[in-house]
Amino acid sequence: MAKLLVVDDDKNLRLLYEQELGDEGHEVALASSGREALELLKNSRPDLIILDISMPGMDGIEALGKILAKDKTMPVILNTAYSTYKDNFMTWSADAYVVKSGDLTELKAKIRDVLKTRGLPT
Amino acid sequence: MFDAQLKNTLTLILAGGQGERLYPLTRDRAKPAVPFGGMYRIIDFTLSNCLNSEIRKVYVLTQYKSFSLDRHIILGWSSLFNSPETGRYIHILPPQQRTGQTWYQGTADAIYQNIYTLERERPDYVLILAGDHIYKMNYAEMLRYHVQRKADVTVSCVAVDKSEASQLGVAVVDSENRIHEFQEKPKENPLTLPNDPDSCFASMGIYVFTTEALVRRVSGDARKDSAHDLGRNIIPEMVRENARVYAYPFKDENRKEVAYWRDVGTIDGYYEANMDLTEVTPLFNLYDESWPVRTYHEQFPPAKFVFSEPLGDDQPVRRGQALDSIVSPGAIISGGTVEHSVLSPQVRINSYCYVKDCILMEGVSIGRRAQVQKAIIDKGVRIPEGAMIGYDAEADRARFTVTGDGVVVVPKGMPFA
Repeated sequence: MAKLLVVDDDKNLRLLYEQELGDEGHEVALASSGREALELLKNSRPDLIILDISMPGMDGIEALGKILAKDKTMPVILNTAYSTYKDNFMTWSADAYVVKSGDLTELKAKIRDVLKTRGLPT
Repeated sequence: MFDAQLKNTLTLILAGGQGERLYPLTRDRAKPAVPFGGMYRIIDFTLSNCLNSEIRKVYVLTQYKSFSLDRHIILGWSSLFNSPETGRYIHILPPQQRTGQTWYQGTADAIYQNIYTLERERPDYVLILAGDHIYKMNYAEMLRYHVQRKADVTVSCVAVDKSEASQLGVAVVDSENRIHEFQEKPKENPLTLPNDPDSCFASMGIYVFTTEALVRRVSGDARKDSAHDLGRNIIPEMVRENARVYAYPFKDENRKEVAYWRDVGTIDGYYEANMDLTEVTPLFNLYDESWPVRTYHEQFPPAKFVFSEPLGDDQPVRRGQALDSIVSPGAIISGGTVEHSVLSPQVRINSYCYVKDCILMEGVSIGRRAQVQKAIIDKGVRIPEGAMIGYDAEADRARFTVTGDGVVVVPKGMPFA
């Protein structure tokens, strides 16, 4: 099990992720915006961040840059409804890119992959 | 067809190094802005290459002490490049601190911190140049070479003597010029050329990257503990992982017997490269109209040489003359003698003084009866009447920087009692 931070402006999605990833045995913290995530990161260090891109205020791309600037080793999975951002050079420093879907199988698999690569408990 | 590729190439000139080994010439200016050859600044050679190669889109990445560099580019080069309607431009790009709060940690980090610019421009190829080398090169030919080989990255290389390898990146290539091994600054036993055991194939710090390969590599490198350097980290990693890394054999547009490429990284190297220009046939040719070297200067009156007393037997004569020298506009050689020296604009040589083997930068004045030899006098310094510089090593060392080869450097703003 790992400590995850889910950053998404969609409240229902946050609750779904909290439930589903919690069922996988992970400890899940939530943030509703890039700015809130950065606030949380001042006092805690999750094992992995799941980061939405399209959010009001600071979007996920800007938040990614700031998160990595503070801690370049922080694992980040971008998780967005759009596949178009995948071509955006600014997203290429993330550990993985997962397009949102009702079924979280792919996301869960990527979480396992990234944690494993980093030598963290899955 | 090739023209379209040139149009889709973005050029980044890395002009942010501190140039510490050129101190004190870099005390108040970035290395690319250090004056060279009387009229020029070091970056003029790279920018002239860009113009002569029909390069269209140029960003100059600046960092430390960039004021005089910015000013030079804006006043001198903007009008030569900028033509928004035909998609040509030169822009100065200081660190935007979009990602972090640090300045560039290395050349790869400089690219990583500007990925936003690459995303906005979406070029197919990125040409990366150093802003601090003296050479003539057609970058369009290197780009064509890169495209033909479908390379991920192409590194421009020049054959150098084995003894210089410890300061450079050394490539080992096969018969197709694909790089199979890359040593960055090898301390001993550098890998030599197969047909010449005394020479190495050295990287000139000039790269053409296919944009996606560049972005992937620098994005990955940014996540690692690394020097974040293209030569030290990115290129060796790409070679190790069997990416398509090619060497481009430097083709010298200088058209002399020996290829000319100088890093002028040290004061002694800088001094020698300047002095070469005073030779009857210099190694580096500034006079080739097919490869013009441009610069910027405000306008000055023509150089003037006055006082012409006939040469006498014993007492010093008042005679304004310069021999084996480069003299820039606005200089006045008034009753003194200059030999084997490089004089920038608005230099003033006063009566009965003697200047030999010197580089005098803009606005330097040499007082009456002063004697100066083997010295670099920085911008605006006024050498007082009767001063002696370059004659007494101990006295010089007490006041100035003296290099290993014995070149005295008198820095800007040096007051004389």
